[in-house]
Amino acid sequence: MAQHTYDKINSPHHGKVPSRVVSAVGSALNEDWSDDFREPRTAEFKDNFQKWWPYYLMMAPGLIYFAVFHYLPIWEAKLAFEDLRIIGPNVWVGLKHFVQLFASPAFVEVLLNTLIISAMKIAFVFPLPILLALLINEVRSPRFRQSVQSVIYLPHFLSWVVIAGIFIGALSPADGAINDLRDLVGLERRGYMTDSGSIRWVLVWSEAWRSAGWDSLLYFAAIMSIDPQLYEAAEMDGASRWHKMRHITLPGIVPTIATLFILNVGLFLNAGFDQVFNLTNDAIQDKIDIIDTYVFRLGITGGQFSLATAAGLFKGVIGMVMMLSAHFLSKRLTGKGVW
Amino acid sequence: MASQNRTGLERAESVIIVSVLLALVVITVQPILNLLAISLTEPANAPGMSGLAVIPDGLSFDIWTLLANHPAVQRGLINSFFITLTGTVLNVTCTALMAWALSRKNLPFRRTIFILVLVTIVFEPGIIPDYFVMRRLGLLDEYAAVIIFKMVNAWYLIILIRFFEEIPNELIEAAELDGANPFQIFWRVVLPLAKPALATITLFYVVYHWNDFLRPMIYFNDQDKWPLQVVLRQFVLVGDKAAIVGLEAMNNYTGASQIDFKSFRAGMILFTILPVLAIYPLILRYFTKGTMSGAVK
Repeated sequence: MAQHTYDKINSPHHGKVPSRVVSAVGSALNEDWSDDFREPRTAEFKDNFQKWWPYYLMMAPGLIYFAVFHYLPIWEAKLAFEDLRIIGPNVWVGLKHFVQLFASPAFVEVLLNTLIISAMKIAFVFPLPILLALLINEVRSPRFRQSVQSVIYLPHFLSWVVIAGIFIGALSPADGAINDLRDLVGLERRGYMTDSGSIRWVLVWSEAWRSAGWDSLLYFAAIMSIDPQLYEAAEMDGASRWHKMRHITLPGIVPTIATLFILNVGLFLNAGFDQVFNLTNDAIQDKIDIIDTYVFRLGITGGQFSLATAAGLFKGVIGMVMMLSAHFLSKRLTGKGVW
Repeated sequence: MASQNRTGLERAESVIIVSVLLALVVITVQPILNLLAISLTEPANAPGMSGLAVIPDGLSFDIWTLLANHPAVQRGLINSFFITLTGTVLNVTCTALMAWALSRKNLPFRRTIFILVLVTIVFEPGIIPDYFVMRRLGLLDEYAAVIIFKMVNAWYLIILIRFFEEIPNELIEAAELDGANPFQIFWRVVLPLAKPALATITLFYVVYHWNDFLRPMIYFNDQDKWPLQVVLRQFVLVGDKAAIVGLEAMNNYTGASQIDFKSFRAGMILFTILPVLAIYPLILRYFTKGTMSGAVK
């Protein structure tokens, strides 16, 4: 909170903020505003340098890291507008690769897959942690509650290589748990991993298995911060458990739900590289191939670096617009941004 | 609370809630117990093991002996530990130092740097430019590539900045008056106060390094540098034939009778999870606390 206020005051537009507000917030933050009436600039710079150079020394590794591993790649992304030459400098070709990208049916299919898979995850995975947190909140025994919580958080810390291994095993037609269960109730065995009709649901449910438990923690924390007096008052009025959940708990976590929903929409184009990459196979690849896996196959496996960079850059730019929109929308609606 | 005058309906609700949660616990744990059961089963009986079984069919440690002696697994384990350890030390040091500087509210260009960091969260140019930068720096097939790749994670940096900002300014000013330089203040005042936050960040980084498979896979052509996750992926998901031939040779070496792919798979997956399970109690202690306070903020 304090951070946001501070940045706002120090923004280049701080003239727009009424000075009364500035001084009020300033004194609230215990800051020294006498700095505003001060000596010439060179002296100031010298003072500043003397005082702050150790801090820049501390930041140096981090700053160099961001320059080399985050800003240099942005510069390297110009490859999307170039043809790679083995001998001699690359040739500037403008939008050639983007045109080629959008003309290829494969890219359109990949784009559609990304949108479909993200939409399915938001529709079916997003509500689960909310329901889970509400359920956990209704457990009376703290010991039972904590035991359940400490178990269901675990999958979040397993890599997708491991989770893919677990799911491929559990869904195996010959001896997987799911098919053994189907066998027990008299249904026939199915090959979920090679069936183009079910593979997207495998993505949905493996995502749920991994993240529903851990994500419920965020909502549970929000529930914990609801004023207990509200519940006491409701109990005096004879409210049932259901009523309290419906009229106190749920409204209490709506801001958290809104923020996380908006964040999820902002990350819409990240349909889950690690997940798809490890769960895919030749039989169903066309059903779950997303932008990120496409970029990988095109570039790292196929060596078509310019085309792959163009696809990645396209995703990066659209993703940026969506993320920024999400941030400002969230800030407007809930007063809390994404970061 | 008011347990003495619970109605029948409320009791029925409680039973439903508890059973649903118990079912979720079973769904979470059963697959892992199944792998454990398969890996401990007499290898000859492994092919007949049901996916529902949680008790080994005849106890045997052959698979675990084999795994512990398999050269690729041993190398993977050493690589994983090395990358995780050096990576985390570097991560935490650089992140904490940068966060401490950026938490000083009067630092010149603070806002500019903050925005430049945020830009890297919002805009990612993709894996191909990353790859070209690594190539240009001559870091392909060097451990440094995966150790440095996420040296300062922007999200964790922001979390730490927020945490350092909560430290009362009076404490820092008092130290400044005593003539302490910024490094001394960081070491003696800030770090001791920030222990829980630093522990959280450390665990975040440990889990990140341990679980990362993509970057080592892209940057290391040399299989001897592969961490455990990549080895696991190669054995279990890609089903690398060369790896299996090596495995059969190993069978003769350990004298284990007829070890099949199924039990090897199960053991290998568990083997990769073990270190995560080992630090899981710590994770529960710090992550849950950290996330809770973050959400309440």
